[in-house]
Parts: sequence; C-alpha cells; structure tokens
Amino acid sequence: MGFGDLRAASGLKVLNGFLSERSYIEGYVPSQADVAVFDSLSAAPSADLVHALRWYHHILSYSQRNSLPGVKKPLGQYGPPGLADTTTGSAPSAPKEEEDDDDDIDLFGSDEEEDEEAERLKEERLAQYAAKKSKKPTIIAKSSLLLDVKPWDDETDMKQLEALVRSISMEGLLWGQSKLLPVGYGIQKLQINCVIEDDKVGTDMLEEQITAFEDFVQSMDVAAFNKI
Amino acid sequence: MALRELSSLEKYLGLKKPNKYSTQGDKKVPVLQNNNGPPLVGLGTIASHLVKEAKRPNLLGDSAESRAVVQQWLEYRLTKLDGCTKEDTKAILKDLNLYLQDKVYMAGNQFTLADTFMYFGIHPIIVDLSVQEKEQYVNVARWFDHIQRCPGVRHHLPPLVVLRNRIYTSKHH
Repeated sequence: MGFGDLRAASGLKVLNGFLSERSYIEGYVPSQADVAVFDSLSAAPSADLVHALRWYHHILSYSQRNSLPGVKKPLGQYGPPGLADTTTGSAPSAPKEEEDDDDDIDLFGSDEEEDEEAERLKEERLAQYAAKKSKKPTIIAKSSLLLDVKPWDDETDMKQLEALVRSISMEGLLWGQSKLLPVGYGIQKLQINCVIEDDKVGTDMLEEQITAFEDFVQSMDVAAFNKI
Repeated sequence: MALRELSSLEKYLGLKKPNKYSTQGDKKVPVLQNNNGPPLVGLGTIASHLVKEAKRPNLLGDSAESRAVVQQWLEYRLTKLDGCTKEDTKAILKDLNLYLQDKVYMAGNQFTLADTFMYFGIHPIIVDLSVQEKEQYVNVARWFDHIQRCPGVRHHLPPLVVLRNRIYTSKHH
C-alpha cells in the first residue's frame, strides 16, 4: 500500500493513476483518508496529473475537513495494493493476495456504505477464518502410479536405468517397488511404482524427467494410475 | 422508462406516498396530476417538484451557478440523450468524458439531480459499451461507478462493471 513519496513526482504519478478510477481515496464518500493524503501534499498537483488535480480541488471544496468521517491512518495504509510501502513510521499493512485478483469485478460485495470500522472488522474476521482454516489438517490427494520405462535394447544396463529413475526426486514424489519384466528379444522393461501428491507432481513432469535420460530410456508409459 | 425513474427518485428522496403518474403523447412524457394545481408535465419539471416536496433543495444545486448547471444537464438529458442514435452516443460520451475530467459530480461538489438523471440516461449506453471503450472514456467510467454506488440511487437498474479489468494493460499506469 502507500503511494510512495508524495513529495516526489513518482508518488504523485501513483496517486494520479490510483485516482483515475476513483473519486475518493477510500470508499465512495470523502473521509479522513482523503484528508490524510490531502494534508501530505505540499501543493496542488500539476495540470498534467488530471485525476489528482480533480480530486485535490474537490477535497479543497470541503471547508470542514476535520469533520469528515473515518479515522486517519498512516499514509502507508492508503493507495494501490502491491506497492512497496516507502513512508516512514507506518504500521505494517495487511498483506494483499495475488496481484491479478480481479477485485474490480466484485461489484457490491462489501462496498456499499462502508466505513473504516466495518472494514477493520472484516479484516479481523478474515484473518480469524484464515487462521482457523490453516489449523485444520488438510487432506492431501495422492495417487499411486505404475510406470513402464523402456530401454533402447537388451544391452542397456537395467540396474543403472533403475538407479537413474530413482534419482529423480521431487516434492510429493515417493518411489516404491520395482521389477523387471521381459518384453521380448531379450529386452526388459522396468516397471516401477510411485506415489505422488496430485497437487505437486504431474505425470507429464515425471515423463519429461525420465525421458531426459536419453541414453538409457527410450520411452515411458503410465501403466496404471490409481487414486488413493 | 421515465416513470420508473421517477419512482426510483421517490424512493431515494424517501417520499412516503408514491405519486400516480400518467403519460402523454407517443413520446410517453410523464404527467403528474397535482391535487391543487395544474398537472405537471415533463421529467425535469416533475423531478424538481419532487425534490422540493421532499425538502431537499440542495439536490438541485447549492449555489446559483450549480443550480444553473443542474438545469443544464437535465435539459441535456432530455434533448440530447433521450432518443439519441448510435452515432450520437460517441459524441455524447466524448463530451461527457471531457467535462468530467476535473469534476467528481456533474454539478458542483456534491450529488445532485443532474447526476441521478444523467446516470439513468447513460445506463443503457454503458450497457452496450465494450471494455476498450470503457477504458477510453475513463472519466465517464469513474463517475458512473461512483454514482451507481451512491446509496439509494440505483433502484431499478442493474449494476454495471465499468472499471478496467486489470488484464488489459492501460496507458494510465
């Protein structure tokens, strides 16, 4: 949060961009949020920062700025999310989730007649919910795969092939039993079991890594895929 | 359309007894039959009357200048906006965008009838705009989003998404 240094051109540019789609700093009525930012400006923004200038004149028209609703928070609490808070002495701002969150689309979720208290309550409740959720043991989805790894010919050293396959380690991947099955003409294929966590490991990832051993591995197939 | 706007306005003003309206002519001009006096004809006239009845004269503007501006936009709504063609809408949006560049509200520094009726009038145009067009008319989008979130204004109209989707890169950042 925060606009950066509002005494510098860079901060004013951020403010201008922020106000291009908003009439006020916070919410849809003038509040102490506007007063806080207004007071931190040393002068009116220049004429090329149209949105900041518009906002500035609008706030200027309120003669009783101290009677606007809300509570003044440190400057770093206002402004576009995702911007590093460069104001000094500001309280740590609540972490915002992924930047590409389309929160402009959330029309009337919680915006009508919101004042700062209601927002704070909401953040508290959200934090509580998140804490509760993290305490609950999450059930991890796992699957058991049976992989068939085929060598180039019968001269391939199957022991080394197996060692190479087992050397592949990823988070959420556990190798299991293996056996060698004859395919024909003296060629053997390695059938190896593994347990994967669905979220972390995908079969195409595995396939890529196994077939990377080009000297040994001709191809790899998933012979069986069972959910645990 | 006009009748729904008037009843929306009545709800916004908190008028207890909804009035009965009728329409006149093939343009469906609203008519309010007053008990004491002659019937009031016309959207702007009736709206102003309702505002005075609800004792909220500031909705018509708090200074002589802003009162004139409110009347100007009410007239604009009735003459230019209602019944405009597709080609006109581009010019109208351009006008509005330029006008709203340095203003938060249509008239003066507070919400007035001008905002209400321009919002009602512009809504069907905004419905048909594409995302790029909404990005082009930044100020109209900002004002529109602001007005539709003002408490009590948006009764009979669905809320519209006007503000930019962050997927599109914008030249304003």
